[in-house]
Amino acid sequence: MEELKKLAKELLENKTVAAVIGYQQVDDKRTKPIIVTTPEDASKLVFNEYCLNNLAVYLTKARIKNLAKQNGTTLKLGIVAKPCDIHAIVALIQESQLKREDVYIIGMNCHGVVKDYGMDFSGETLATKCTPCDSHKPLYSDSNLGEVKDTPKVSDEVLEKIQAVEKMSHKERFEYFKKEFDKCIKCYACRAACPLCYCQRCITDKTVPRWVESSPHSRGNFSWNVVRAFHLSGRCIGCGECERACPMDIPLSLLNRRMTETAKQAFAYVSGRSLDTPTLVGSYDVKDSDELFM
Amino acid sequence: MKIGVFICHCGENIGRTVDCPRVSKACQWLPGVEVSLDYKYMCSDPGQNMIKDEIRKKKLDAIVVGSCSPHMHEKTFRKAAVDAGINPFLVEIANLREHCSWVHDDIDAATDKAIDLVRMAVEKVKRNQPLTTIEVPVTKRTLVIGGGIAGIQAALDVANAGYEVVLVEKEPSIGGHMSQLSETFPTLDCSQCILTPRMVEVYQHPKIKLMTYSEVEKVEGFIGNFTVTIRKKARHIDESKCTGCGLCTTKCPVKKKAFNSFEENLAYRPAVYVPFPQAVPNIPVIDETVCTYYKTGKCQMCVKVCGREAISFDQQDTLVTEEIGAIIVATGYKLYNIEKKPEGSMIKGYGEYGYGKYKDVVDGLQFERIASASGPTSGEFKRPSDGKEPKKIVFIQCVGSRDDSKGFSYCSKICCMYTAKHAMLYKHKVHDGEAYVFYMDIRSGGKMYEEFVRRAIEEDGVKYIRGRVSKITEKNGKYIVKGEDTLASMPIEIDADMVVLATAMIAQTEASELAQTIGIPYDKYGFYNEAHPKLRPIESTTGGVFLAGACQSPKDIPESVAMASAAAAKAMVLFGSDKLEREPVVAKVNELFCAGCFLCKKVCPYGAVEVKEMKDRNGVVYKEIAYVNEGLCQGCGTCTASCPSKSIELAGFNNEEVFAQIAAL
Repeated sequence: MEELKKLAKELLENKTVAAVIGYQQVDDKRTKPIIVTTPEDASKLVFNEYCLNNLAVYLTKARIKNLAKQNGTTLKLGIVAKPCDIHAIVALIQESQLKREDVYIIGMNCHGVVKDYGMDFSGETLATKCTPCDSHKPLYSDSNLGEVKDTPKVSDEVLEKIQAVEKMSHKERFEYFKKEFDKCIKCYACRAACPLCYCQRCITDKTVPRWVESSPHSRGNFSWNVVRAFHLSGRCIGCGECERACPMDIPLSLLNRRMTETAKQAFAYVSGRSLDTPTLVGSYDVKDSDELFM
Repeated sequence: MKIGVFICHCGENIGRTVDCPRVSKACQWLPGVEVSLDYKYMCSDPGQNMIKDEIRKKKLDAIVVGSCSPHMHEKTFRKAAVDAGINPFLVEIANLREHCSWVHDDIDAATDKAIDLVRMAVEKVKRNQPLTTIEVPVTKRTLVIGGGIAGIQAALDVANAGYEVVLVEKEPSIGGHMSQLSETFPTLDCSQCILTPRMVEVYQHPKIKLMTYSEVEKVEGFIGNFTVTIRKKARHIDESKCTGCGLCTTKCPVKKKAFNSFEENLAYRPAVYVPFPQAVPNIPVIDETVCTYYKTGKCQMCVKVCGREAISFDQQDTLVTEEIGAIIVATGYKLYNIEKKPEGSMIKGYGEYGYGKYKDVVDGLQFERIASASGPTSGEFKRPSDGKEPKKIVFIQCVGSRDDSKGFSYCSKICCMYTAKHAMLYKHKVHDGEAYVFYMDIRSGGKMYEEFVRRAIEEDGVKYIRGRVSKITEKNGKYIVKGEDTLASMPIEIDADMVVLATAMIAQTEASELAQTIGIPYDKYGFYNEAHPKLRPIESTTGGVFLAGACQSPKDIPESVAMASAAAAKAMVLFGSDKLEREPVVAKVNELFCAGCFLCKKVCPYGAVEVKEMKDRNGVVYKEIAYVNEGLCQGCGTCTASCPSKSIELAGFNNEEVFAQIAAL
C-alpha cells in the first residue's frame, strides 16, 4: 500500500502525470473513487478487495481528460487499475478513445474483489466477475504493484445461470427476460458505469428518428437492453460494472457474458487482451466462421 | 409539400396483376399527394410529358413513380423531373414490377401491396433532401493488363487516340499465346508474321509505357481515379544498358535444366534467356532458380561476355505506382493440362489419355510449336519421343470441354477450327500421312470457318470420326487409340504414331486472385463476368474496368481483337469528358456526435473514411473524428449500418427517410 502512495506522490511531484485516478478508503469495508491532483493527497490512495469500481470509465469523460491539459502541454493521466480494468483501457486504446502514451497505468496485482461493500472477503462473497477471471497480473502497465495471492476457488455462478436460461423454451426465456427487463427504469446507470459506452450521443438519445423508445415500457426496455448487449458484443471486457450499477438488479451480465462466450467460441477473440490484434468488430478474415450469419 | 404520383402499367407487365387505376385512385388521398395518375407507358414520350405537365401545372415539389426497377428508368424519370424544374433526388421510384406484379398472381393482394409500396415512397420523398451531383476529375490514362493480342490491340487503339497507356505483362515478352501459333485459321497466314509488327509498334509507341515481367499488385480508387501498384520483377539485367545482342544467352552454360515454356516444354532454355527470338522487349531475364551463380556464387559467364555491363545479379523487385483512369483486363487463357487432377479443381482429369506419360501424346499448343517454322523441329513434323515423322496422327477434340462428368460444361469454341487446321497443316507437309479427328460436333460458326473445315475433309482428306476415345495405350512405339464411331455404331481402333488432344481453354491460374485485387466478379470457372451478357459484354460490373479477350470466355483471335477494340472505345468514352458526374449518394459524418471509434473506417470497403482533427478556436485539437472522402465513397452504406450511435448517414437514404418508409407500412 505504501509503495502505491509513494509512487503516486513521485509521479505527481515530477509532473509525469496530471492526476491519479484511484481509490480512497471510506470505512473498513468500503472505498470510493478519488482523483488525486496534488502530491499531498497521494497518501489518500489505497488498494484492497473493496476497490470495486472500474476506474477506466473516467478516462472517457471529457472533464477528466481536460485535467491532463496544463499550461498548453498535455500530461499523462495516472490510473490505479486492476488487471480487468486494464482490459477496458486496452479496448479504449483499440477503439481510438485513448492513446497508450496518454495514460500511466499503475497496474495492481489482484486476487479478486468482494460482491459488495460491507462484506468480508471470502470465496462466498467473491464478485461473480472474479470467478472465471484468469488475469491476476496486469497485461499492460507502467508500474506493477501489489502482492500476489491466490483467488478463492468457487463455481462460475453466471455461467451456470446462462446454462439454465439456455435450457428454457423460447417462450419461457422470453418471459424470463420480459420480467427482468420490466424492472428497468431507464436510468441509464449501466451506460454511465460502462467504460466502453463512450458515445457522445447514445443511439437511445437520438430522436430524429427515434431508434429506441425512451419510455419504461416493455418494448422500449427490450430494445434498450438488447441494443446495449449487441453494441457490446465482442467488445465487453466483463467488468460487470453495469450490473453493479443497476438499481433494479437486472442480470445484465447474463447477456454480456453470453455474447463474450460466443465471440470466444466462434472467433477465439476476447476483448481487451491485446493491443496488437484488430478488434473483432470491424475486422474480417476469410477463415471466419459463417455459422453465426446463417 | 405537393407530391405527384404516377402509376405506370408497363404495358401488361404491371397492369396484368396490379389494378393500376385502383392504385392511382387510392394514392390520391394520401396526405401530401396533389395529383395521382396512371398511364400505359410512363417511360414513353407522352408519359414523360404527362409528368412534366403535371409538375408545371400543379407546381409539384416532388414526384413518386410507380413503375419498373429504378435500375431501368430512374434516370428517365429524374431527367423528366429536372426538365420540369424539380431536383432529381426528389424523385422516388416504387418498384411495382420486379417487387410486385412479376412475383405475385393474386390481383387484389398485389394491388394492395402496390398501394403500400407507393405510400412508402410518398413518405420517403417527403423527407428527401435536394442533392447535387458530385463531379470528380478523370485521369486520362489506361492500364492494360496482359500483353497478348487483345492487350496489344487495346493498348494500340487507346494510344493511337492520343491517350497514355500502361501495358503490364507478367511474362518477359509481350505476344501471348498468339506468338506461339504456327499458322492461323481460316486463312493459314503465319501468326508471327502478322503479330510481331504490332508488338514492335507497341514498343515504339510514344504513348505506351510497356512494363514486361511485371504484375499488378494493388488497385485502389475508383472509375477515373485508380491508383495502381505494379510489381516490376527483377530481370537481373539492366534494361537501360542491354542492347539485346543475345551473347549472354548463347554463352550461358546452363543448358538442360529448365524447360522452355514458350516451346511448351518441348525444348530447353538457358538460365539467362529471351522467350523467343522476336521477343519484345528483346531483353533477357535471368532465372534465379536454375542460374549457377545463385546456387554457388560462381560462373558469372554472362557477366564476362556482356560488353555493356548490363548483368545485375543483385537487382531487386521494384514497386511502381501509376495513376490510371480506366483499366482493360486482357489476361487471356491457358490450356487445361490433363496430366493429373488439378489440385482443388472441380474436374477429374483424363489420365486414360496418357498425356505426360506418353511423349507423343501432346496438346494443341505443343502441336502448334511442332508445326511452327520457328519451333523446336523447325517446322518439320517429328514426334517428340524419337524424332521420327509420324505417319498417322489422331486428333481428339473436346478434351475437357463439353464434358459435365469429367471436365468443364462449356465449349472451348476454337478447338474445332484449330484441329482442322492442325490436320490440314500436317497433310500439307506429310502427303502420305493419315489424319483422324475424333469429334462430338463440328462447331464452325464464323466467316469462312465452315468452308475451312470442309476443305480439310474434302480436299486434304482428313478423316473425321464422330465419337469419343475411351483409352490410349502404347504398343511397340505405336499408340492404340480405342474409341467409338457413333455414326457407324461400332468400336474403332487406330494405331497412331502421335495423338493430339484439343484440351479445354481455361482461366489463367491466378485469374481469381487478380479479380479480387481489381475488384471484379468472376464465374465458377474463373472467367471474368461481364456487366450484362447481351448489352454490356465489354464492361465489368466495376465502373471503369473493361474486359477484352479470352479472360472473359474462350475466344478466337478475331473475336479477341474485336473485343479489345471495343474495350479501348469504352475507355475513350470515359476520357471524352474532363469530369465524371457521380451520384451524391455518399455518407456524411455528424461532426458534433461522432465519438471517433473509427469502426466506419475499419469496415469501409473503399477506404473512403479518413481521420479528421477537430480544433477549437485556439487551434488545439480536441477530438479526432471520422471524415468521408466523397470521391471515394460509393454509397454502400456499410458505415451507416455499423455506427453504434448513428452519427454517419447516407445522403438520399438517411435514417429519417428510411424510418418514414418503414413506418408507412
